Amino acid sequence: MGAWEYYLVVLLVYLGTDLLAAWGLNLEFGVTGVANLGYIVTIAAGAYAYVICTLGSPASAGGFQEYVGGFGLPFPVALAAGIVAGSVVGVLIGVTGLKRLRQDYQAIAMLVVSLMAATVVTADTPFLNGNAGLVILPQFAPLSDQDPEVQRWVYVGIVAAVCVLGYLVLRRFTTGPIGRTLRAVRDDEYAAAAIGKDIVVLRLVVQAAGGALGGASGALLVAFIGGWSPGAWAYVETLALLTAVIVGGMGNDRGVSVGTFLIAILILQGVQFLNDVPALKAIEGLLNRPALTQDLGWIVLGTLTILFIWFRPQGILPERRPKYGGIRG
Amino acid sequence: MQLLIEAIGFGIASGAVIALGAVGFSVQFGMSNVLNITYGALMTLGAYIGLFLIDRGISPWAALAIAGVVVGAASVAFNRGLLAPLVRRGTRAFAIVIVTVSAGVVLQYVIVVFAGPDAKSYGEQSGQTFHLLGMVLTASEVTIVVLAAALMLGLHLLLTRTTLGRAMRATASNRILAQSCGIATDRISDIAWMLSGMLCGAAGVALAITTVSFDFSLGAVFLIPMIAAAVLGGIGQPYGAMVGGLVVGVASELAAAFTNPAYREVVAFGILIVMLLVRPHGLFGAAWATRRLMA
Repeated sequence: MGAWEYYLVVLLVYLGTDLLAAWGLNLEFGVTGVANLGYIVTIAAGAYAYVICTLGSPASAGGFQEYVGGFGLPFPVALAAGIVAGSVVGVLIGVTGLKRLRQDYQAIAMLVVSLMAATVVTADTPFLNGNAGLVILPQFAPLSDQDPEVQRWVYVGIVAAVCVLGYLVLRRFTTGPIGRTLRAVRDDEYAAAAIGKDIVVLRLVVQAAGGALGGASGALLVAFIGGWSPGAWAYVETLALLTAVIVGGMGNDRGVSVGTFLIAILILQGVQFLNDVPALKAIEGLLNRPALTQDLGWIVLGTLTILFIWFRPQGILPERRPKYGGIRG
Repeated sequence: MQLLIEAIGFGIASGAVIALGAVGFSVQFGMSNVLNITYGALMTLGAYIGLFLIDRGISPWAALAIAGVVVGAASVAFNRGLLAPLVRRGTRAFAIVIVTVSAGVVLQYVIVVFAGPDAKSYGEQSGQTFHLLGMVLTASEVTIVVLAAALMLGLHLLLTRTTLGRAMRATASNRILAQSCGIATDRISDIAWMLSGMLCGAAGVALAITTVSFDFSLGAVFLIPMIAAAVLGGIGQPYGAMVGGLVVGVASELAAAFTNPAYREVVAFGILIVMLLVRPHGLFGAAWATRRLMA
């Protein structure tokens, strides 16, 4: 497999996992109006659940890393465990939104959950091997008798299949009666409650569904990259997904897909190629700063978010408002 | 027992810094009703301005004052240029929080681009220590506790004894009514953002003085204890934030002394979550409601 072909596989897997995560966040944030600044924790939960399900017991693996569990389960079971874990963690984060907190307080509470989870996992080494993270997963080989070039494309196919399934589930929530109810909760919580909608239950169901998408994203990603540590799920990672949602168009599934492609692939992967620009390479060498382009990536993302909220809060593809009997809703 | 008293000593020292930052955060929130996450990155900016000045031979205490003024000005510019226009257009609260988070990340990485990602230090502390009721504090920690107390007293006098303070309280409690009484609310708001930015910058330098080393995540890490202190004392209420700062500081150090030092921050996180869920209006919420200063 050539370097470029391999890179294409990497990009497609990243795109698929990022799409699942962005859809989940859009369901929570764009459609239901819960600014979940702790969304990355559901992805982390899915990834860790996958890892401890596939790894054997710590002793059997040589005991060089500590973790709970270690069940040596096959891929489909581990993926399902990741989805369940993401869902459960999503609900736990959502409990902070149970109280009628102001939206901004809710966002802060969820941000704190994200920071707290990272601190605890980092500090508590016996739990998930702390800061060093967990590595050397059993190689997932869906078609082990074939050559590795085909295997990688098979994995892309699996990710694509999960994406299609995820999209179908997502559309059950964002369109039709449920979608209209959720948008009503977002636009006027009290009016929705007054006509008999149970806000708390709706929000928790959405947190479970959004978390399941996050869990699937994390499990598929970790199976591909083969390791997971607290560095992979810093709270700023949620910002990258939020930027994708805001740039693409809050509440519009297709818009968010476009936004994910723009942010996760074009911009975040694009900045890596800045390393090849001779002038920038010279500056990096001069300052002795090899990670400069990554820092620039975060600056670009933050600036884009602010610019879009300022100039085009509805995003590239705005949410389509349904028409009721000729009156625009 | 000795461990307990020493932990309380550390707690008072770090609580004083938390209180400085939390009071600034509270003043800003009371005035604008915006939960400004950029505050943490502005604090980091203060610490790095301090580093820049100290590297050039300026004394830490002068650096603290200069960084305070610069961050104060930056804070006014940030409100005038970005937050106030967004609020005026009716941008929703969660979108504004996301703007402040994004602005914080941008500022943090701009600092990284200029100053580099590695840990910095203000250099050796003077060796002198004070023993007070069994607590051991360094000279600079004592100075910071005294300085924080003096700044709090100054703010108290400003808010209660001057016309400016009364105008600030009036603007915070009802902007439109204050405006119709002839108060130049925009200018009062600028002054509040200046004050809170100054406290923020000063807290950044004070924090960098008391820690062994720091990096670009200084403010982001410290933001949660500050918000926890502000919420504990009733957000928008400067006095509450002072008490909250001490409580969070002492509780964190006790947790660090008796459990895992890595759990120092978890205490502040826990206090914030529990407060938001149980008493979002703060510990003294009901009692303060009748004579609140800036809510």
